[in-house]
Amino acid sequence: MAILEIKHVSKFFGGLAANSDVSFEMVTGMIMGLIGPNGAGKTTLFNCITGYYPPSRGEILFDGHRMNGLNPDAVCKLGMARTWQKVRPLAKMSVVDNVMVGALCRTNSLKKARDIAMEKIKVVGLEKRIKVLAGSLPIGERKKLEVARVLATKPKLLLLDEVMGGLNPAESEEIIQLILDIKNLGITQMVIEHDMKAIMRISDRIVVLNSGEKLAEGNPQEIVSNKAVIDAYLGGE
Amino acid sequence: MAVFLQSMISGILIGGVYALIGIGLTIIFGVMRVINFAHGDLLMIGMYMTYFLFALLHIDPFVSIIVTIPMMFLFGAFLQKVFINRVLGALPQNQILLTIGMGLVMSNAVMLAFTSDYKILSTTYSSASFNILGISISSPLLISFAITIAITLALYWFLYRTDTGQAIRATAQDRDAAQLMGINVKRMSIIAFGMGAALAGTAGALISPTYYIFPQVGSVFTLKAFVITVLGGMGSIVGATLGGVIIGVAESVGGVYFGSGWKDVIVFILFLLVLLFKPSGLLGTSKD
Amino acid sequence: MQNMRGMSTLPVLLTVVAVIALFLLPNFVESTYALHIMILIFISVIMGSGWNILGGYTGQYSVGHAAYFGVGAYTTIVLMQYQHIAPWYGVWAGILVAVAIALIIGSICFRLRGPYFVLASIAVAEIFRVTALNLKKLTNGAEGILITDIPPFKIGDIVITDFMSKIPFYYIGLVTLIIAIIVTWLLQNSKLGYYFQAIREDQDAAHSLGINLTVYKNVALAFSVVFTSLAGSLYGLYVGFIDPTTVLALDLSVQIVMICIIGGIGTIFGPVIGAVVLVPFSEALRSNMIAQALIDSGLVNENSGVGTFLKEQLSHAHVLIYGILLVVVILFMPDGILGFIRKKLSAKQRKEAI
Repeated sequence: MAILEIKHVSKFFGGLAANSDVSFEMVTGMIMGLIGPNGAGKTTLFNCITGYYPPSRGEILFDGHRMNGLNPDAVCKLGMARTWQKVRPLAKMSVVDNVMVGALCRTNSLKKARDIAMEKIKVVGLEKRIKVLAGSLPIGERKKLEVARVLATKPKLLLLDEVMGGLNPAESEEIIQLILDIKNLGITQMVIEHDMKAIMRISDRIVVLNSGEKLAEGNPQEIVSNKAVIDAYLGGE
Repeated sequence: MAVFLQSMISGILIGGVYALIGIGLTIIFGVMRVINFAHGDLLMIGMYMTYFLFALLHIDPFVSIIVTIPMMFLFGAFLQKVFINRVLGALPQNQILLTIGMGLVMSNAVMLAFTSDYKILSTTYSSASFNILGISISSPLLISFAITIAITLALYWFLYRTDTGQAIRATAQDRDAAQLMGINVKRMSIIAFGMGAALAGTAGALISPTYYIFPQVGSVFTLKAFVITVLGGMGSIVGATLGGVIIGVAESVGGVYFGSGWKDVIVFILFLLVLLFKPSGLLGTSKD
Repeated sequence: MQNMRGMSTLPVLLTVVAVIALFLLPNFVESTYALHIMILIFISVIMGSGWNILGGYTGQYSVGHAAYFGVGAYTTIVLMQYQHIAPWYGVWAGILVAVAIALIIGSICFRLRGPYFVLASIAVAEIFRVTALNLKKLTNGAEGILITDIPPFKIGDIVITDFMSKIPFYYIGLVTLIIAIIVTWLLQNSKLGYYFQAIREDQDAAHSLGINLTVYKNVALAFSVVFTSLAGSLYGLYVGFIDPTTVLALDLSVQIVMICIIGGIGTIFGPVIGAVVLVPFSEALRSNMIAQALIDSGLVNENSGVGTFLKEQLSHAHVLIYGILLVVVILFMPDGILGFIRKKLSAKQRKEAI
């Protein structure tokens, strides 16, 4: 069953098309990789899906709901959550408080929120850091905190924007494991990533964007052998 | 119709001075991203300087700007180096509070030194005016407008034709990029604050023959300066010039038709409308 | 953020002792001047706590809170003076009017961020001030309103107080202050408090975590305005005179912010510390106590130039001192006195640990 349907979505800034006529579907439980060179419109598409910009044209359906015009908070309440390419910790709040803010999306009780938060903090492996202020975490742990925080909102669909960006290979490996763990929890994921090896390993399907348009879609094997994709990546560099 | 024309013209004349205030604020904001809440107080200091140069040394206020401009520049540069420089990376709120504090210190120090009595700088031509086509034009306002135009032109020449001016504009456009290009951003900040202070001080000097001079006079002008710069688009020099004239005219015409008590309300409502519907200013390019 | 269990017993004990002492104070202190200072401190804490909810916890730096202080004061006093509605009803009317106005303004201005929000808040307060100056029929314009009598407060036929002394104001102020602090504490330990702080730390992140920014900013504003308006009503009734340049001034807005900044924003006791530091200091300057003390101590000769200067001018210097304090606090302790102490303590602990 399709959990997310992107139908002919375009987004213009002034006269410039950041996304034009992008369409694809996601099935519950899958990991969709979203790749493309810099400026291909990946983050813009994320922003359209999660309510930060209304799409200029086209339609986004999530879990049966039409998403056009919904605000980010309503999007989150419907069960879609996103992380940020540039992490956004709530710097002067502790790790557990950060995750609790996410959990409070589903409960009004601080006690329940704390329980949910502790559970998600365990999933990402930050148990030893709960009382530390989020602003003083190193980048690797900030990325994990971000994931724990969105997990606490109990999403059906998770959009991860370059969660491995700026991490060393060991940290990236931890994140890969984390993404696979989240998949096992039954949460559908869309992942933007520059690290090709990583994306090929984790993705069930991949959509390639180039200059705002969908260049190709398929499983990892199809993508690596797609001529247009190779041209875009090698020719564009 | 005559009344309308009359108020238009006096609005444009005072608008020239407002433009100077606005340009000063906008340069400071452009280069440092700091909103200077002490801007009106710098103007007030310019007024007092002019007053004492006149009262003690009998230097005509329009001549004394030759002294006021460099003094205010140095004062501004000093304020930037000692105070503002320390909060450049801080929260915008803290920058605002710092400049509010500096403004309070300036106005109240002046009050302690010279009492809060209104001072009047009356020259022989303070209330002189002449008629053209039945419209009376105040002589001091006209002179100050002429000087304003001269200064604005000089300023444009400096900003667009000299290396330092270009560097200042580059810094205003993108501080980080400017730094990478080898521009001494710190020096530009000092020059920018100096220039802002000098412009505010000059504006103070130019209006001193027609305004009451008192320590708290600044706050009115600080608020006006915000309105002008927001109207023109924060950081835009052309915008501030235009904004100054627009506010001058809006006040003057609004004062005639709604009563002078309400003219400030009109200005602030205009301000709110711009903030809400075109926060990038009239000349700015909207991002959404 | 501390939870209930995380609170150690010592501060709780100290707070309880302080509260009891404050309740007993008027029995031991005869000096009306001391009571006067205490009442001013209470009012400052109340308005500071009000601002703190919006500015300190939610991160929306309003520099226009005088608008709500003034609306509260004017509503209560206009109703009492011209409509003969007793102030203990008028205070509620003031809150209602102030909150209603605040919500209209909030739903318009909260889409602005950072310095633009600050500027808008100032503009709004200035609109109120100029309007109050111009609506002479309602507000008596620049002349202000002088209160003639506060009707005695009765339950049944028993007169509880006739407001002739400072004592009733003292207790009303104290109780309101305690309520303000309890409300702040409750907010801090609730979902609202978490949401407010999330908005303060990062609006976009908060938004993506399911927080409706407009709704929660307005909720914070409403709480904030309740106490600011209360402080305004209380001030008007206590001082007995209001005019636009005292209760609607930009200076007042700045003072409200300063109380919190100096004490430490986003902390329960920040406004208390700020008020305790600021009010007595500025009152001492205003009433010439410091100048007199300098002369009495023999440091300054009364008849010398410096002496007359101090006697005549130092009373005007309290705003100057505000300014200097503000500059010093921002430059050297941007987290306020509480934050400064906390930082020193933790640095000391770290040293001892090594």
